[in-house]
Amino acid sequence: MKIAVFIKQVPDTDNVFWTENNNIDRTKMDSIINPADLEAIEAALKIKEKNNAYITAVTMGPEKAKEVLKEAVARGVDDGILLCDSKFAGSDTLATSVILSSAVKEILPDTDLLIFGQTAIDGETGQTGECVAARLNYPSIGHITDITEINDNYIEVLSSNINSETTFRLKLPASICVNNFVNKPKLPLIEGYIKSQDKNYKTYNLYDLNILETQAGLKGSPTYVWKVYKREETRNGVIFDFEQTQFNEIYKEIKKVL
Amino acid sequence: MEPNGILIYAQKDSECGIHPVVFELLTKARELKQKIWNQKIAVCLIGERKNYDETISELGSYGADEVIIVNDDRLKEYNKEYYSEIFVQIARKYPPRIILIGATIEGKEVAAYTSTKLETGLTADCSNLDIGENYILLSTRPTFGGHLTADILCKTFPQMATVQQNMFKAEKTEHSANAIFDWIDTDKIEKKIEVIKTIKKTIGTKDLTTAEIIVSGGSGACRDNGFALIYELACKLKGAVAGSRSAFEKGYITKSQQVGQTGKAVSPKVYIAVGISGANQHLTGIKNSGKIIAVNKDKNAPIFKYADIGIVGDLFKVIPELINEIDKEG
Repeated sequence: MKIAVFIKQVPDTDNVFWTENNNIDRTKMDSIINPADLEAIEAALKIKEKNNAYITAVTMGPEKAKEVLKEAVARGVDDGILLCDSKFAGSDTLATSVILSSAVKEILPDTDLLIFGQTAIDGETGQTGECVAARLNYPSIGHITDITEINDNYIEVLSSNINSETTFRLKLPASICVNNFVNKPKLPLIEGYIKSQDKNYKTYNLYDLNILETQAGLKGSPTYVWKVYKREETRNGVIFDFEQTQFNEIYKEIKKVL
Repeated sequence: MEPNGILIYAQKDSECGIHPVVFELLTKARELKQKIWNQKIAVCLIGERKNYDETISELGSYGADEVIIVNDDRLKEYNKEYYSEIFVQIARKYPPRIILIGATIEGKEVAAYTSTKLETGLTADCSNLDIGENYILLSTRPTFGGHLTADILCKTFPQMATVQQNMFKAEKTEHSANAIFDWIDTDKIEKKIEVIKTIKKTIGTKDLTTAEIIVSGGSGACRDNGFALIYELACKLKGAVAGSRSAFEKGYITKSQQVGQTGKAVSPKVYIAVGISGANQHLTGIKNSGKIIAVNKDKNAPIFKYADIGIVGDLFKVIPELINEIDKEG
């Protein structure tokens, strides 16, 4: 059984630094592994507990993104590969799906199962996994909270949403997106950490993946950002200072709307 | 064929009618249509509906010009592989300039598959839509963890966007739609996914999308039993309990109670934000609320710009005081 887990290094958007000109100061921000991708790693590790499985973590990004591959190996993943090329920069979901699906075809062709985190905290489109699966014509299901069975032919997964829980059986090779997985991320082990530091992580570029320049990066992305701004909207409400105001005055205002 | 008009995907609601997000998208599409030479608005409806005549006239009353219906024995219930592929084939047969899809789980699955097969761009979870320069779709969405807003354009056709429920208001108009009953050969669609079983969940939490009053807690409430106060206040006001992304991440609420771009968009009469600082992605989810009341100890918290009534103070003092006042009135 061969498994590929797709992970991404993202800025820690819970701790944002602003410049004086109201821009985000990216140089001050920490990079972290996308939280949902940690659950994707746990899902792969759960399969490995009972089956003979080999897990490869795949990430796209600059050289620095090897940090998340190391983290994945420290957590128990077997190997990691980096998809790195300046021509990948600025890829939208469509171009990213070309790059990731080409990595499966060219580098990891006999992979049985692809695992993604449901969403990334920086882009949050939640569509990348679905798009990669569509490109490879793999069956795909999202919102996976558990894996109930896996063998050489199929995988059974539990997909949960607000109203229901459904068990699906997907023919392999298949793709799943994980959300609120039963096994919560555990801390890396010392042996894993040591192994992760010594490992040689292979890097692949546009030519290795057999992609045309027009399919990747800005050139391969149909969508582009026209403008980015910090939203300045206001309802011009009344603001009270609790310590300085009689509460019945505040309550009078509240009563008007309740 | 030259791309023409707007195509909207119509998912079902729980009673086999039309999901409300479709009417919201139709209302928005009427506005967009005027800026693209009044080209037609088509709705694609796959599978069984309780009453076709009623459904078609209802879609017409929100502005649909054409309703394309595809149904056969295999399509009674939503099925990802069939519905996605059929929608792609409809979009190829009647190529639109713009495709709009409600960002339900079903809608997002269909949207991702469709954009890949049509090799076109998709902007997910938009907070607004407009027509920009050169008559192309301008999609606005929060980005960077909700701290920034981005306007996004697309170079290819069709231009696709998904939008959550409650982002736009649905309004009727004097209008009627024509129906086209189409047929697509489902024998040719390969099935690799099988449903083994489905269990319906019955949890007691109120549905946020229809609640009139929502009391919502953020990271400020994620300590010292702050959420107990939130629940108590909601109970007194007969409202629903919700929370921000960090309240979800810290385990105080379920995913179905999370408000914001990655949770739910809500439109209650009154939204009470307690200990929520007001990241853009959260504000996007509450913009259609009637009145917003905010309690936060940081007077610079962005939520105050967005509130109709703001109370700068410690929620552990403010909320008990508020509950006390409500109790006095009985």
